[in-house]
Amino acid sequence: MSVARRWSLPLLLLLVSAACKKEEAQPVAASPAGGGAVIGAALSLTGPAAVYGAQQRAGIQAAVEEVNARGGAKLSVIVEDDASTKEQGITVFQKFINRDKVSAIIGPTLSNTASAADPLAQAAQVPVLAISNTAATGITDIGNYIWRDSLMEAQVIPGAFKKAQEKLHFKTAGVLYGNDDVFTKAGYDVMQKALQDLGVKVLGTQTFAKPDRDYNAQLTELTAAKPDVLVVSALADNAAAIVSQARQRGWTGPILGGNGFNSPAFIKNAGAAAEGVMVGTSWNSSSQEPANQKFLANLKKAGVNPDQFSAQAYTGVLILAEAIQQSGGKTGRADIEAGLGKVKDLDTPLGKFSFTPSRDAQHEPSVQQVKDGKFQIVQ
Amino acid sequence: MGQQVLNGIFLGSIYALFAVGYTLVFGVLDILNLAHQAVFMLAAFVALALVADAHLPLWVALPAAVLAGGLIGIVLERIAFRPLRGRSDSNISGLISSLAMATVFEAIALEIFGPDTSRFPQGTFPDRVVRLGGATASLLQLCIVGISVLLMALLTLLLGRTRLGRQIRAVAESPRAARILGVNVDRAIAFAFFLSSALGGAAGVLFGLAFNSISPDVGRGVELKGLAVIILGGMGSVPGAVMAGFALGLVEVFTVARLGSSFRDVVSFAVLFLVLIARPRGLFGRAAAREA
Amino acid sequence: MADLFLAYQSLFAFVGINALLALSVYATLCCGQLSLANAGFMALGAYTGALITLRAPSVPFLFVLAAAALVPALVAVPLGLPVLRLRGVFLAIATVGFGEVVRLFFVNWQFTNGAMGLVAIPQRTQLWTIALALAVALFALGRLHGSRTGYALEAIREDETAARTMGIYTTGHKLAMLAAGAALAGLAGGLEAHFTFMVAPNGYGFGRVVEMLVQAVVGGTAAFYGPAVGAAFLTVLPEALREAGARLGLAPGPFRLLLNGAILLAVILYLPNGLVSLPATFRRRARRPA
Repeated sequence: MSVARRWSLPLLLLLVSAACKKEEAQPVAASPAGGGAVIGAALSLTGPAAVYGAQQRAGIQAAVEEVNARGGAKLSVIVEDDASTKEQGITVFQKFINRDKVSAIIGPTLSNTASAADPLAQAAQVPVLAISNTAATGITDIGNYIWRDSLMEAQVIPGAFKKAQEKLHFKTAGVLYGNDDVFTKAGYDVMQKALQDLGVKVLGTQTFAKPDRDYNAQLTELTAAKPDVLVVSALADNAAAIVSQARQRGWTGPILGGNGFNSPAFIKNAGAAAEGVMVGTSWNSSSQEPANQKFLANLKKAGVNPDQFSAQAYTGVLILAEAIQQSGGKTGRADIEAGLGKVKDLDTPLGKFSFTPSRDAQHEPSVQQVKDGKFQIVQ
Repeated sequence: MGQQVLNGIFLGSIYALFAVGYTLVFGVLDILNLAHQAVFMLAAFVALALVADAHLPLWVALPAAVLAGGLIGIVLERIAFRPLRGRSDSNISGLISSLAMATVFEAIALEIFGPDTSRFPQGTFPDRVVRLGGATASLLQLCIVGISVLLMALLTLLLGRTRLGRQIRAVAESPRAARILGVNVDRAIAFAFFLSSALGGAAGVLFGLAFNSISPDVGRGVELKGLAVIILGGMGSVPGAVMAGFALGLVEVFTVARLGSSFRDVVSFAVLFLVLIARPRGLFGRAAAREA
Repeated sequence: MADLFLAYQSLFAFVGINALLALSVYATLCCGQLSLANAGFMALGAYTGALITLRAPSVPFLFVLAAAALVPALVAVPLGLPVLRLRGVFLAIATVGFGEVVRLFFVNWQFTNGAMGLVAIPQRTQLWTIALALAVALFALGRLHGSRTGYALEAIREDETAARTMGIYTTGHKLAMLAAGAALAGLAGGLEAHFTFMVAPNGYGFGRVVEMLVQAVVGGTAAFYGPAVGAAFLTVLPEALREAGARLGLAPGPFRLLLNGAILLAVILYLPNGLVSLPATFRRRARRPA
């Protein structure tokens, strides 16, 4: 055997074992003592959506601990990775439905995966609670077993923009949005209509793709037209870079963002450039309500930075626990389905939560602004 | 207008630095190294760890990360490319094994650093803005262009004037002839990989500094653009990669300015396509690109 | 037992679809051309099928699939004429560029909802549909193997200039195989669209075609059924790793990705002719004197 071949195998084994060691340190999801409901969590833990999946897992695990400590029906969660692809999403759903025989499914992370996998749950009559799907169509209209606790952009943006205009009095806008991601594209569609309804003239519209990191060209074009405000529909990572680069380009005007901005990662990565950015969000991070404070404390205890994704995931578990309670502690699929229909004004980190008649989320959205490196409510 | 030119040069310098490493390996081994973008990403993380965790200043962390990139390149060559040498299908199998290594590297980065995007801490680089005519450029941007150009010049010097550089060029021309002439082919190839990955790593660190974005999937966005650059410049040609890198940066920026950003990536690939159909050799390439 | 089947039903379906895709890459590989356009062809087939079903639901599924296969094949011809003159890695890169342009087209086309894609496609694909399509594809490629056309393709792969001198119409053959590969990829796309209820551009990018290529090569391109074997192996592998991980108590995450990469590397390095060469390797080892 040549020298090269002799060395390559040991080197490879070294690499693999190095990764092995790190993995074993991680804890597995909590198991139930006996009885109780088994929930399947289909999350994107690898692939492009891994950032959100990781946050969601943290939120779910914290909530499960909280719920099980309360007494009543115990919850146990099986977490599976769908690798941000619809194929694995479908496989995971089938595993949950037919092998693990879960009572309900929470997730999946991406709207695209949801429109591929949810129909399976609908056909098998397994309730699904979406915690981050914001597409306007193709989620809850799949069927009556599909529910969601994530507000659609259409429920958040119009109110947020109206309030922003009251404060900032803008008449023209430059718009930048990510056109290759469902989250940001759906957000843009709503933003465009909201601006139109407010009588704001859009001076220029530019797009970017999620893997892009350089926005100088687009920002130069947009700011050259001198709009009153920059409107951005982006996820947290892109948002941080966009805002930084905008300030570097010399843009001193206001910046208005959507749901994707609502993350401490945004403030951390954008640094000083984040000051003054106004965001329409579905989670009021500075809410003093006990449900929210408990959520913040629990997540801090787990060493995770709370953000919108973890808040919505945490709330999802609370909603499922409430559904079980509403059906008298019974944990079958039909029981949870019936119980979900009875959830009303539940105290959650997102506020008082109910479902709309079409099983979409309903709670008060908020407008926040970054002040002194933290999100603060705009009254 | 002037501002967009600056934006284009800035973006182009990073494309060029990335592509130079890419094209070097192709010139020597006739293989497309798809793990190049993973080295790009890993070096950025190494620099980040050195600055953020070990609190080293940037002027130490940058060379250290570049060195680390080069070393990763040597490991890469040893594991994924050397065993394939001499095989008849080495282009395709080299492509796939480099792909496998890219997956492994990305998984390692995900494991150690998590999927979040990070940035260099505030104050890593002084935050000053310079005015050039009507346009503005940050001191950071100017330094990045400067460092890129410097590194590419160093590479050209190395390849042209040193013995090792001549050996690399000899192997690129014909490995068999080089061996007959007494060149240690294994060492020359390993050194070529070192250089290629070191430059790719440098591009990664500069990219992370420039755009405040370091994440395990940061290489993917640059990978395909890098392909367009080396095709335009001519496979195997270092000066070609440099010119094409700047050219593509400018083309992209002006596409955004004139046509709108939705066309940005389309134009890169359209350029790629047109070059391959009209002049597959690219601007400066020597490799035969057609059958007849 | 029935539950087990139901739990993995989709896995079987994906094995079949991926097998078709791997075979579509093989179609051009067997005459020595590395074409990486097939994710783009798959997208064209998927969207064609989805649009027909959504706009004209009464069209029989067979015609929908035929259209899904035909459209990419028609596109392949004007693509192939200029591009097939390029050698080796240049052809690969040109076809990668084409694939990306197709994806970007769908991202930007408002008619198909851009990034959000088309949803609520009725599930017209059954397991037997996929199995039938795969059987037909394998049969066709198998027949090619010993036929005159098959020999011509092999000759082109070995040495194109010599083949042309011998009077083989190389351009025609290469173009035909490119179109055949496009048709297979389009068919797979149409089948998948009607199985997963939706189509969206982000499933048809560079990563997808790389997956197809890897499955074809890992399976082995020496035999016509090699790519199908590779597809089966690499589609099942992440799920097997998922099971193994669960049993070993490992949390889901990047570890599966790492193992995937490591296994791929091992196959490429130590099994150059792919998985189908395993039996031959064992036989050779067994025959060696102790």
